[in-house]
Amino acid sequence: MRPEHWLFTIPLRLRSLFRWAQADQELDDELRDHLERKIEEYVAQGMTQEEAHRRARLDLGGIEQTKERCRDTRRINWIQDFVQDLRVGLRVLRKSPGFAAVVILTLALGIGANTAIFSVLESQLWRSLPFPDSERLVDAHLVMRENHTHWDVLPYRGYQAWRTASHSFVSLSAFHYPSNRNLTAGGTSERVEVMPVSSTLFETLQVPLEQGRTFLPDEEVPGNDHVAILTHALWQSRFASDAAILGKTMSIDGAAYTVVGIASARLRFEYHLDEPAIFVPLSMDPYQQAPLRNTYLIARLAPGVTRERARAELSSLVDPIMKAEGRASESVAEVTNLRETWTDFAARPLYFFAGAVLLVLLIACVNNSGLLLARGLSRQREFTLRATLGAGRAALVRQSLAESLLLALAGGTIGVLLGIWGAQAFAAFIPEDTLPRKTEIVLDARVLLFCVGVSLFSALVMGLMPALLASRVDLNYALRQGAAGISASRSQHKTRSTLVIVEVAIGLVLLFGAGLFLSSFVGEERAPRGFDAPGALTFHVSLRGENYAKPEQQQRYFNSLLEQLRLLPGNREVTLGSGLPLTGSTGVSGTVNIAGRPPAHKYGTYVTIHAVAPNYFRGLGMRLLTGRPFDSHDDPASTNVAILNRNAATELFGAEDPLGKVLDFVAQPHRGVPPQPSVQIVGVVENAQEFGANEVPQVGLYVPFAQRPLPSAYVLVSSDVPRGALLGPIRDAAYSLDKDQPIFDIKTMDDRIADSVRSACFDLILVACLAAVALALVSVGILGTVAHFVQQRTQEFGIRIALGASPAHVLGQAIGRAYGMGIAGLVFGVALALAIGRILGSALYLVPHEHSGMLYGVKIYDPLSMVVASVVLLAVLFLASFLPARRAMRVDPMVTLRYE
Amino acid sequence: MIASVTEDIEMSKPSDLVQGTLDMLLLKFLALEPMNGFAVSQRLKQVSGDVLQVSDGSLYPALHKLEQEGWITAEWKTSEYGRRAKYYSLTRLGRRQLEKEADNWGRLSSAISRVIKLKEA
Repeated sequence: MRPEHWLFTIPLRLRSLFRWAQADQELDDELRDHLERKIEEYVAQGMTQEEAHRRARLDLGGIEQTKERCRDTRRINWIQDFVQDLRVGLRVLRKSPGFAAVVILTLALGIGANTAIFSVLESQLWRSLPFPDSERLVDAHLVMRENHTHWDVLPYRGYQAWRTASHSFVSLSAFHYPSNRNLTAGGTSERVEVMPVSSTLFETLQVPLEQGRTFLPDEEVPGNDHVAILTHALWQSRFASDAAILGKTMSIDGAAYTVVGIASARLRFEYHLDEPAIFVPLSMDPYQQAPLRNTYLIARLAPGVTRERARAELSSLVDPIMKAEGRASESVAEVTNLRETWTDFAARPLYFFAGAVLLVLLIACVNNSGLLLARGLSRQREFTLRATLGAGRAALVRQSLAESLLLALAGGTIGVLLGIWGAQAFAAFIPEDTLPRKTEIVLDARVLLFCVGVSLFSALVMGLMPALLASRVDLNYALRQGAAGISASRSQHKTRSTLVIVEVAIGLVLLFGAGLFLSSFVGEERAPRGFDAPGALTFHVSLRGENYAKPEQQQRYFNSLLEQLRLLPGNREVTLGSGLPLTGSTGVSGTVNIAGRPPAHKYGTYVTIHAVAPNYFRGLGMRLLTGRPFDSHDDPASTNVAILNRNAATELFGAEDPLGKVLDFVAQPHRGVPPQPSVQIVGVVENAQEFGANEVPQVGLYVPFAQRPLPSAYVLVSSDVPRGALLGPIRDAAYSLDKDQPIFDIKTMDDRIADSVRSACFDLILVACLAAVALALVSVGILGTVAHFVQQRTQEFGIRIALGASPAHVLGQAIGRAYGMGIAGLVFGVALALAIGRILGSALYLVPHEHSGMLYGVKIYDPLSMVVASVVLLAVLFLASFLPARRAMRVDPMVTLRYE
Repeated sequence: MIASVTEDIEMSKPSDLVQGTLDMLLLKFLALEPMNGFAVSQRLKQVSGDVLQVSDGSLYPALHKLEQEGWITAEWKTSEYGRRAKYYSLTRLGRRQLEKEADNWGRLSSAISRVIKLKEA
């Protein structure tokens, strides 16, 4: 139809729809007016009142029929019909509250779980970052050419080239992640998060300052960089929103900084790390040209520029510089969406859970489909009557769907509430730092829309098949069956069995998944950790400020700290290392080659390096496999020595004895790795977990702290004194040495073990909950189907028993039927689980170069989990079919036959 | 029986009227002057005598259909006898529709009359 035509008719339709009563009233008036005139006319022609009245009505051909035909012209009848269907549906459902309650609750559970996971996905992965036009923001970095997930260090000149010569960006800026530093102002000091940023950051993010000015390019040079911008929150809380703070100075880690600006209240990163409180210039010495370690680049793409184009341009800019450094072929530029870069690490597990939750909804729908089907059977008479009275098949299907829709909407409403509650519970219980963003989970339009969509989807999935089957009414057959009951047709039995098979199959997938996560969790708990230090208290010290710039100063501080701590009563062992097991990689690393041999790898072998005190291995209970531990003679004056972990010994030497061999460090000035003295290997120690059981074992090297002091170290205190009483004296000892050097990350080694398995534990609980819900739903489904089967065959069983069949035989037949469906479901389920496992395989397990997979120590073909899942399902199957089947056994032949 | 009632209604349709012709007639009447349903029924009877038997029961649904199509529009007005009545009048769309239908009708009827006038061999 022409658009112009719509212009006219749409308002008319809307009027008919929304001002239905008025339109009807007018129709009434019009026809009454007509009648009156007609009567007058007939009277004028000489008829009596009554005769005129009768004739006028006759001419109109039945007032109500005419009205109905006038209404039909409005073309919105289907909506009114649908409303009518809903009304009828509501009445019908109100009559069977038990049925409705089961269906609605099941759906609410399924929809709720889906809403929860959706709102988590939305708030964590899909929601735009809190900056204007944030999808144009990208992360620019270098990646290794061979493996794009491996980042490379950007040369300083490359950064300069990108910043000044690139046309792909409106603005490019660099930043470091915030670090915890000591702020002193107005006589009091506190720890605040300080974030070094380049002068362009606020421009790149397009969040201008509230007051003052941004940093100047000059201030990105060491010596000029003692200026600061406060966040709005800090300005408000610490300085009472006083604008006079601009131009004043305050001290950060003992150095004076001048406040030049206040950031906007709108500036939030919503990143899982702490929000910064103060920005300082990210200063780089242009003369040193140090490569950009720990530095991240954000840029805003220029209008019309794609990421591919930016990538090509950045590569072309950095290539000549790389060539000059002799590493032209090593790395290429990469430009990624900033939001995706920030959230990528959490996407895999979240999508995995979303998939599992979707399976639960499917089971709920299939289950309800079965219930609706059974109900459709018992309502066959109603449908038959309606069909007899002239209802078309479409009308019957519509009526059935209207009921499903009502159920789904009720389920959806409860589901939204459950979902929001569930999402908050999810966010509260998920281990810290597993979610990438600190965003609020809210019930917004997107979530609501999703919920409505899921409800409609569920209504269709669960309602369509029963509706189609129920509407297939064979009038002749149905009427002949009489009042006693219409038995299910073959196709209906088949459909119900299929539904149960589908349910069992999906249930098996979830149970199998839960089994995998359970054995993975048990595996992680039991995995050898490589250390044993029960009750040992540990904490981190990271020396800052000008007093600790030199290695000797760092060494002196830690020596004094250890001495002080050894004086504490109850002391058993006090030691330190630049890293401890389960604290994650410490950031000190290098590449080594065996002295006097050609390098095994092109760039040497990558090792993580721990600088440790002589008694480190004893304190942590780490087993020395061969050689000797460090001792007090391994000082700066003697030979530089090292101890390998088992992994490094195998990686570097294979079966050869490493003792006495010498390792050369590869200097990489362009990556900021200065030359290091070679080390002689004096021992090999057992591998210790760096992150947790599910990690790629580190190629690790231990060196004496005395030969390579570092500003940052973990201290371990083993003591007879309980933790609570120990902490105070430790703090006193540390702060008496220097009150400005805080001790933090205070945990026992047992805490660290618990933390390392927390994520696996959370995954397990979540998957187990989903599997439990699935199991409950499946058992309800089987129970209903078998009960229905028995009810349908009551007469048959009665006759059989009367003819001498043993009750046990009848029972066996009923249960046998359940098992027929169960076994078929199991077969499909196993096939489905294996297929899903194949697809998800790489996503579920540990990936090289990453330190967490979701599963540890199990294979997707894990036979134990598969067997256990099958046995559990069969047991549930037996219970769920035994209860209703027992009724078949107890059938009294007299009663059933008399009933006939 | 319900079915037979339905059939009665079907029967009252002006079966001797070519499909769509009633619409054209109504449009034409309303093109002459706006009028209410009763007046339209009177006019139908006057003009066509007993040839076109359009019952009141068919008239109103037909008028409502034209209204829903946007070809005519209705307005409540007080009539000459001081009575409120629903007056229908032609819209711009309706006028165009009338021209189209009249055109078709002209072509159809002249074609048919040509056929009828053919001399038998």
